[in-house]
Amino acid sequence: MALISMTVNGVQVSQEVDDSTLLIEFLREKLKLTGTHMGCDTTQCGCCVVHIDGVSAKSCTVLVGQAAGRSVTTIEGLAKGGELHPLQKAFREHHALQCGFCTPGQIMAGAELIATYPGELNEHVVREEMEGNLCRCTGYHNIVRAILAAGAEIRGTKITDPTLASHSVEG
Amino acid sequence: MYPFTYHRPKTIAEAQQAFSEGMDATFLSGGHTLLPTLKQRLAAPSDLIDVTGIPEMQGIEEAGGFLKIGAATTHDTVFASPIVRRLIPALSGLAGSIGDRHVRHRGTIGGSTANNDPSADYPSAVLGLGATVITDRREMASDDFFVGLYETAREPGEIVTRIDFPVPDIACYAKFRSPASRYSIVAVFVSKTGSAVRVAVTGAGASGVFRLPEFEEALSADFRPEAIAHLTVDPDMLLSDMSATAEYRADLIRVMARRAVEKPGQIQSFK
Amino acid sequence: MEPKPKFKAVGQPLRRKEDERLITGRGQFTDDFSLPGQVYAVMVRSPHPHATILGIDPAPALEMPGVLGVFTGDDLAADNWGQLPHNPVPSTKYDVKLTGRGGTPVYIGEHYLLPRDRVRHVGEAVAMVVAETRQQAQTAAEMVMVDYDPLPWVADTQAAAEPDAPRLWDALPDNVLVDSIFGDIENTDAAFAKAKHVVDMHYHLGRVTGVPLEPRASLGHYDPQTDRYTLYAGSGGAVRQKHEHAAVMGVNPDQVRVISFDVGGNFGTRNRAFVEFGLVMYGSKKLGRPVKFRADRSEAFLTDYQGRDLVVDISLAIDENGKFLALRSKNLSNVGSRCVSLSPLSKGSGLITGSYDIPYATLHSRAVYSNTMSTQAYRSSGRPEVCFAIERLIDKAARQLGYDRVDLRRRNLVSPEQMPYTNAVGSEYDSGEYEKNMDRLLELGDFVGAPARKAEAIKRGKLYGIGFSNYVESSIGSPKERADLIIRPNGVEVIIGTQPAGQGHETSFAQVTADLLGVTFDQVTITLGDTDVVTAGGGTHSGRSMRHASAVISLAVTDMIAKGRAIAAEALNVDGGQVEYEDGVFRTNATNRTIDWFELSRLAASLSPDHAGGLKVRRDNEMHTPVFPNGSAMCEIEIDPETGSLEIMRYTTVDDVGRCINPMIVHGQTHGGIAQGVGQALWEACVIDPETGQPLAAAFTEYGMPRFDNMPSFLCEIAEVLSPTNPLGVKAGGEGGTTPAPAVMISALEDALLEYGPPDVAMPFTPLKIWSEIQKGKAIAATKQQGAA
Repeated sequence: MALISMTVNGVQVSQEVDDSTLLIEFLREKLKLTGTHMGCDTTQCGCCVVHIDGVSAKSCTVLVGQAAGRSVTTIEGLAKGGELHPLQKAFREHHALQCGFCTPGQIMAGAELIATYPGELNEHVVREEMEGNLCRCTGYHNIVRAILAAGAEIRGTKITDPTLASHSVEG
Repeated sequence: MYPFTYHRPKTIAEAQQAFSEGMDATFLSGGHTLLPTLKQRLAAPSDLIDVTGIPEMQGIEEAGGFLKIGAATTHDTVFASPIVRRLIPALSGLAGSIGDRHVRHRGTIGGSTANNDPSADYPSAVLGLGATVITDRREMASDDFFVGLYETAREPGEIVTRIDFPVPDIACYAKFRSPASRYSIVAVFVSKTGSAVRVAVTGAGASGVFRLPEFEEALSADFRPEAIAHLTVDPDMLLSDMSATAEYRADLIRVMARRAVEKPGQIQSFK
Repeated sequence: MEPKPKFKAVGQPLRRKEDERLITGRGQFTDDFSLPGQVYAVMVRSPHPHATILGIDPAPALEMPGVLGVFTGDDLAADNWGQLPHNPVPSTKYDVKLTGRGGTPVYIGEHYLLPRDRVRHVGEAVAMVVAETRQQAQTAAEMVMVDYDPLPWVADTQAAAEPDAPRLWDALPDNVLVDSIFGDIENTDAAFAKAKHVVDMHYHLGRVTGVPLEPRASLGHYDPQTDRYTLYAGSGGAVRQKHEHAAVMGVNPDQVRVISFDVGGNFGTRNRAFVEFGLVMYGSKKLGRPVKFRADRSEAFLTDYQGRDLVVDISLAIDENGKFLALRSKNLSNVGSRCVSLSPLSKGSGLITGSYDIPYATLHSRAVYSNTMSTQAYRSSGRPEVCFAIERLIDKAARQLGYDRVDLRRRNLVSPEQMPYTNAVGSEYDSGEYEKNMDRLLELGDFVGAPARKAEAIKRGKLYGIGFSNYVESSIGSPKERADLIIRPNGVEVIIGTQPAGQGHETSFAQVTADLLGVTFDQVTITLGDTDVVTAGGGTHSGRSMRHASAVISLAVTDMIAKGRAIAAEALNVDGGQVEYEDGVFRTNATNRTIDWFELSRLAASLSPDHAGGLKVRRDNEMHTPVFPNGSAMCEIEIDPETGSLEIMRYTTVDDVGRCINPMIVHGQTHGGIAQGVGQALWEACVIDPETGQPLAAAFTEYGMPRFDNMPSFLCEIAEVLSPTNPLGVKAGGEGGTTPAPAVMISALEDALLEYGPPDVAMPFTPLKIWSEIQKGKAIAATKQQGAA
């Protein structure tokens, strides 16, 4: 057991936990932040992605001790001052979620990608950089569009390919 | 996971002490191989010693003709480093091709090298560049360091602290990834320094990473793809599993080696 | 007849009501619930594919720290807990009638929550350990000593059907539980006898699993004060779960409350009860604490209900003009170790002739038990299998007989004039414009531009293939549905017994309700998933939900209008006959006064205490008639001939979904459906080691999935040919993406690999498999060359 302190979504938290506690267990079970999801045991699915000091990480493969003293942001803390993050809005606008289980991980991954990727975001980059997040519902088509749309909004760029600008091609 | 005690030493001496005090201690770096293993309850160490808080194990520098990378440096840091990009762009590219971006944010060069997973990328660069592995007690040539599947010449408690890469004239890397695991089923790292060429293969060997002397000889004489076009690889010593048979791996080694040499200075990832 | 509603919300891509909670982390998935004092269950699972259980010793586990109990099949039997009542034989009027040999009833193997006699597949739970923490339960589970006597086993579908195969059930002489023949044998035989050409094929469409990203979970709580059980468990229909678990426990269904709010993916594989759902309630009753279970991903791979697994022998008789004369098919379905559902076999059986006018057909449908996890209706249950059969066979016929593959299809498609069309095994296709779909697809996918793209790909050293498939599928499903329609002064609520797992029912049902009532979309909320609120309902499967919901909501609205008219008359102090209703407003010629639904609800409350909680209508509907969504799909691929690597360059579909309530949602369904069908063709497989019977795909590192970087963007178009079978003309939109996808992909692969000879069609076509086919083709070519020299 150890007393673990960290900042979660801007709030300082301290709890006595077992050393073998994973960050995701700490978030879900101790802090009741159940938006971060456990989808696999092998660091493959990405449902558990959070930001640690602004950097994306799969929280099922981080010990709570490894995150001690850091600043963790979860899906519950992404909206600022009651205003949804542009990517949250884009997910809704572009129908980038269906069941919603992988969605928190997708949004956290996408938000970090938009914030940190040094080059231009295009379909190829998004597909390559997001490969660590699985979705079983959407076939990824609309998630790609949501990330590109929010990326353009945040970075002040334009999406030139019309097939990438709308959520789907209407007949 | 089975219960264990977590330690986060600030110095190598503290790490050594924690190791000697633990019943069955093990070192933790990025944890992206170790923690999944523990979650599947395939190992039960008494103590996990996290080495990522030790300052001297961090950082990238150029010194004395070497590119020196602290063992606890993450894949993402290696990938993004301007020094690495300038000196050995293929190594930067290799780091940027490991796992996915979240994994690259956590996994480290030392962890990957010390674990010697047969499908990990880094061992091929360490061996393919003839790097020196620095530990808390000695220096080892890469040819002596990798011993077998998940096995290295490390002694119990020995900590890999840094890896020194000699800067080659040119290096290149080509890999083919499993459609399921996304690990390499074959990856070939080629480097050329003067007339010396090293060709190292990961993902495929039944005993882990290995070199291809025939390919090295041919490329030493003539560093062009045509020089190795006629060579084949014996499938006998290769892994065989659901995603790739030994014969497939053997053929892919040939193809990846050629493709690597076709684009010197670059990294190519196929899937 | 009420006047036809004006569609304002219906047909619009309205953004979903579900999304706000899901994008902010406020979803309510099963594992998100916790109850005070809850403890954790872990299953002890069989390492053997088949073994007699000689004994189970819980003593060492019981001594472990934190352990509260270890429970076995004997404990459940001592408490008279019974079997899961699976009811696997589809039973609407329109389902084909599957029987055992000689018309005997289908033998359903027993399915207790924990077995007492034998284990019949790797991963079968044999005991439950409950402890204070999950970690303690996991450690203790390793200490439960199970004494097994391994038995001979069989996993392969064809091998399981052999007369001397190891038997799973003593009550059956072999493993064959269904053996039925359909169609017109005499005329089929005659047509084959006179046919100019006969083309045949044998294939096995392998085993896959649904892989919902939310691992299945359950949280059970027994309250001795009320003698009631509460189960939190995501599924495809809480009402069904309630009744099935009540049957297991031998209690009145009213004593069971099932809560299933957000469900993290289903695709059919969650539509049957899992043993762990009952077990957590048992544990809670025995221990007096809420008990929680969550499957690891490896447990999900091994013990979620799985899908597909059909062996087909099919032959087609064709005349000299390329007209199809008759079809023969033998279909063998692997149900796994317990018969949970025969829907895959049944659904496919009714559609063996596909989109084509084939006058005669015979079908021999069989199902076998095997030492594998049970199969269930997985996305588009049964239809991708038979679509694959007919479409691959047509491609083969075109190649063999020298027809253009599109032309050969065109000669045989069912025409709109033939609708409603009864196919050779008795399925009545309701409506559709099959040729128009095909032509639109070819246009949309720029079929005429394909040769230029091929030339360009070849120039880059790639192999290029274009694949094509038509499809027709059926949507039947549980025939009954109920809607409670409640109009309160501040809004409309519809309570309904479907269970979405991402399909957006809260949105599309609100669109329908809004238009039918003449209110706005924002004024309607849909309530689902808590059996204390939702009293009846058929759940979500077989593409039934939109159709059943729109039908029962239509009827409820009609009832509500009648009810409203009477109340409006009372309020306006006129005769009922003098009240007119249009588009959400009641009025009378006698005054200028109008009353909308919300005012009416207020007035009603003042008129009678019966209306205090709002205007309420409960409507049940029973609808058996199936609908037949249909369409066409094509894709283009490039293959790296040196490595076997494959890239999908284009994927185009045209899908007739009947009336499209929300095109944004329907497109999303198509995209996800395509990915699952493509996944089966290229990567996914529940592989079992033929030597040991051990499943080899128990993690995402072993089971290849569709990912961001191996899927293309799609070009999808919706065709709306309204179905005459239901009030809004709805067909279904959830499964059309999947149905033709394996056929399309393999069609493209065959096309790309033509120069290497027709490939063995066993899926998945991983790079290894493609490389192997290329090597095989090269070796054959080399041998031929040698022979020629």
